[in-house]
Amino acid sequence: MTGPRSQRLRHAVRLSWKGLGRDLRAGDVRALFVALVLAVAAATMIGFFLDRLERGLTRQAGQLLGGDIVLEQSRPFDAALRGALEDAGLTLSDQVDMVSMVSHGDAFQPVSVKAVDDAYPHYGVSRVDRGTGPEALASGPARGTAWVAPRLALLLDLGVGDRLRLGRAELEVSGVIEREADPSAGFGSFNPRLMVHVDDLDATGLIQPGSRIEYEILAAGSPAAVEAVTSRLERLRDEGVEVRDVRRDRPRLGSALSRADRYLSLAGLAAVLLAGVAVAMATRRYVERHLDTAALLRCFGARQADLVRLFALQLLWLSLAAAALGALLGLAGQALLLGLLGSLVTVELPPPGLMPLALGVLTALAVLAGFAGPTLLRLRRVSALKVLRRELDPLPASAWWVVGVAGLVFGALLWLYSGDLVLAVSLLLGGGLALAILWGLGGLLLSALLALCARLPRRGGSGPLQALRLGGRQLARRRAASLGQLLAFSVALFAMAMIALVRGDLLDAWRDQLPQDTPNQFAINIQPAERDAFADALNEAAEARSALYPMVRGRLTAIDGRPPREAVPAEARGDNALRRELNLTWRADLPEGNRLVAGEWFEDAGGATREGDRASPVPISVESGLAERLGLGLGDLLTFSVGSATVDGRIASLRELDWDSFRPNFYVIFPPGVLERFGHSYITAFHLAADDRDTLRRLVREFPGVTLLDVEAILERVREVLAKVTRAVELVLGLVLLAGVSVLYAALTASLPVRAHEAGLLRVFGAGDRLLSRVQGAEYALLGLASGLLAAALTELAAAGLYGGWLDLAPRWHPWLWIALPLGGALLVGVIGQWLSRGIRRRAPAESLGLLGET
Amino acid sequence: MSDSSPVNPYPILRAAHLTKRVESGERSLTILSDLALEVFPGESLAILGQSGAGKSTLLGLLAGLDAPSAGELELFGEPLGDLDEDGRAALRAGRVGFVFQNFQLLPTLTALENVLLPLELAPDGDAEAKARDWLGRVGLGERLDHLPKQLSGGEQQRVALARAFVTGAELVFADEPTGNLDPATGERIIDSLFALNREAGTTLVLVTHDRALARRCDRCLSLADGRLAAIVPEEVGA
Repeated sequence: MTGPRSQRLRHAVRLSWKGLGRDLRAGDVRALFVALVLAVAAATMIGFFLDRLERGLTRQAGQLLGGDIVLEQSRPFDAALRGALEDAGLTLSDQVDMVSMVSHGDAFQPVSVKAVDDAYPHYGVSRVDRGTGPEALASGPARGTAWVAPRLALLLDLGVGDRLRLGRAELEVSGVIEREADPSAGFGSFNPRLMVHVDDLDATGLIQPGSRIEYEILAAGSPAAVEAVTSRLERLRDEGVEVRDVRRDRPRLGSALSRADRYLSLAGLAAVLLAGVAVAMATRRYVERHLDTAALLRCFGARQADLVRLFALQLLWLSLAAAALGALLGLAGQALLLGLLGSLVTVELPPPGLMPLALGVLTALAVLAGFAGPTLLRLRRVSALKVLRRELDPLPASAWWVVGVAGLVFGALLWLYSGDLVLAVSLLLGGGLALAILWGLGGLLLSALLALCARLPRRGGSGPLQALRLGGRQLARRRAASLGQLLAFSVALFAMAMIALVRGDLLDAWRDQLPQDTPNQFAINIQPAERDAFADALNEAAEARSALYPMVRGRLTAIDGRPPREAVPAEARGDNALRRELNLTWRADLPEGNRLVAGEWFEDAGGATREGDRASPVPISVESGLAERLGLGLGDLLTFSVGSATVDGRIASLRELDWDSFRPNFYVIFPPGVLERFGHSYITAFHLAADDRDTLRRLVREFPGVTLLDVEAILERVREVLAKVTRAVELVLGLVLLAGVSVLYAALTASLPVRAHEAGLLRVFGAGDRLLSRVQGAEYALLGLASGLLAAALTELAAAGLYGGWLDLAPRWHPWLWIALPLGGALLVGVIGQWLSRGIRRRAPAESLGLLGET
Repeated sequence: MSDSSPVNPYPILRAAHLTKRVESGERSLTILSDLALEVFPGESLAILGQSGAGKSTLLGLLAGLDAPSAGELELFGEPLGDLDEDGRAALRAGRVGFVFQNFQLLPTLTALENVLLPLELAPDGDAEAKARDWLGRVGLGERLDHLPKQLSGGEQQRVALARAFVTGAELVFADEPTGNLDPATGERIIDSLFALNREAGTTLVLVTHDRALARRCDRCLSLADGRLAAIVPEEVGA
């Protein structure tokens, strides 16, 4: 049995291959091929680009941390762990952080010491002034030397070449650090930075039993190498080692990247959807043309299965060829994108991976099966009798069946791309509902427009009104086809508008997130006695500032009476909040940028607890993210040790807050009247112009005890990353617009034979070039106008759902859509339609009238 | 084959009580009623009738392209009523050729590719040589790579003739083969059709309203009011 069967299959393969070669002469097959190429090119281009950019940006974000992974503990790391990390392909750099005292002459100053090795830094460069102006250095200080922060230089009156004493060692100041390569490191420390070589630490004699020293391993490597040690990292977390990586510990960058990621995926899907619509349009024409072939083959003895195999194989070759070409174009396109980004992408990008390629091929097959499948099945049902009676075409596939299958396939792609089943299902259901409404509305709108056109005065000549009336009549004459085109154009305009709209709102949100006056300085250790004077000084000098928050350091010692590490979920045992002291504050009202998500803000709670009655815990408010991580809920009892005392708080509310705000934020807020009795200081954040060094000097002079932290470098880095992502987003938008135009092109190309026939008839009846051009122009413009109106409605609906559900943006109303889309639609469809139809208008009527049923 | 008596006593095509009704709403319209017919190998049969008489419907039924409402039909000795559409298609494969009024050439295929089409349904190493040969026989050996739109109506129908005979069909059905051609071209096509038929020893069943064409067949039947009546070809009027 295998012999004849495999022979038949080989024959079918040969036949389908030959048939495809012949078929490429037909316009619809070329349109189908182009649409598939476009779908694959869009999917792979965005896939490749996103994959590489994301990996590259993640690596750059790693620069903020100093490595892809940072391990930290209070004792040196053992050789076994080092070996394991190195075996996985990671490059290690050792770092030691401690707080110590440094002296120069008679002056002393506590400093935050960072000791680095020769491998420092993994990423980026430090900007250091070695006496000849700031320069970029991809290294740390040499042995026997030290780099000092400008503030330390100011406080100790140090300059390059001076010698300072750290413990028992004397080091030469070889540079003033303007920006560290890993600026976030040491952010938690309030003392000015002193950077030394790790080999000098022994000589200082500072490493003693009981010293508060943090040992760090900064590891850098490929994503695969990082992935390889994931389980090991989890075990380390359980053992109490602090493990940091980019996405987990930098929500600021993480959220921006994650939104960009989602946007680009969305744009990719929009391009695929558009290409799918183009495929569907081209397939209709392909099937119409192949009905005769199928009927003839039935006459000559072909079975249904033969037909199915023949056409399925032909289309399989077509889609594989399209996938190969599309993937190549995608690969070239992403290189072009990166080239266009030029110096913006300073990060070294990893080479393209295979996954986007596989996704591209899968996308081509899925788009073909989903958007063309039901229509293609019509070929199977062709009766041989059609060769004798042309009217015996099999009924077209039900529109709902076509849309249903396409929707399901698109939903599956949506799931694949977003990784979010709930989102995919809800978007699909919402999309289905929207399409049903669109169908009804489209029909009504078309009827209304056509009725309006029909009422236009019947005057002679070829004036615009006459053209509009005739154009409307042409549309009405093939109402079903017009409605189909209307829906296709609406979906195309909708997808284009959606991507443009989301891009605008996304960029706005990013801009809003980091306005020009985002605080770039933190002031801490403001003593209660200095509070008002400091606030006055800021009011005078700073461009913007946050409130002054009192701050008390406290350690979480019990949750509902149990040790925290026992009370929290296993995965939270290594959480920083359990290992370190937390900054606690008190406040009568909800801080700016905070939002209550559960419970109630305390009302006059201070009065009830003013006496500090330990037996009745005070109400407290906890940040919702921390609560979620630690498994905390309303009513849970938290015990803090503050100094030598203990304070109990019962969770009365949970708050969401914006960690991206560069304002002081607190995990735990107490009501007034509880923490005041403990020693406390104040913290605030403010914005100073980058070159306003005078104000900084004045603040340092007037408030010597206050510590000022410059976060401008971090802010700048974040802005830089967002700028890059923004550029990528804009380029991808261009691609989607191109895909949208291709749909219009495919749909209009598919309708050309019918339009040519109509034009031929009008010519026979005496219509001139001018009238034909106007009638066709009016027809296209009417279609575009109606499509734009529908697309505006659909865009508003979808945007409202998408913003809240996926992109985490506040929904907004977009009045300009209702003007731009109808006008833009009329213009776009009008221009493309007129351009495509120019050949039709040049044809002789006889040629046009013979067009139907041919290519 | 001018002798009207059958050489082979077994009919290649046999119909008995053949009836075709179509439902139109609540009404039932009988197009063909209780027809009986036998066609023997090697003969040529014309079914003559006015437009709308049901000629094409009858041809569709005889070729197994459609199923009758009632009656029996045998093609190559196989009862078609026992076969589904795929079975009937398999029965036709390589054994039945067709010539249509509107030629039914695929517009994107060249003359050669159109002729190759029926040969390609089954593996055949000589397919292209056969197709070239048959196109040469109909005088189009130099026009192999021309698309249908580059050929005249007569040339297109000659391509269709080559396609009908190329498989070595035992039975060729022709539906108004000259219907779309001017009389002079039609005449030349008919000459070709009968020449090829003789050469290949094929059985020919054609339906037409062209009496001149009908006169050239061995046998002639007239279809009117859904029924067949035998007429002598020589007595078919102009």
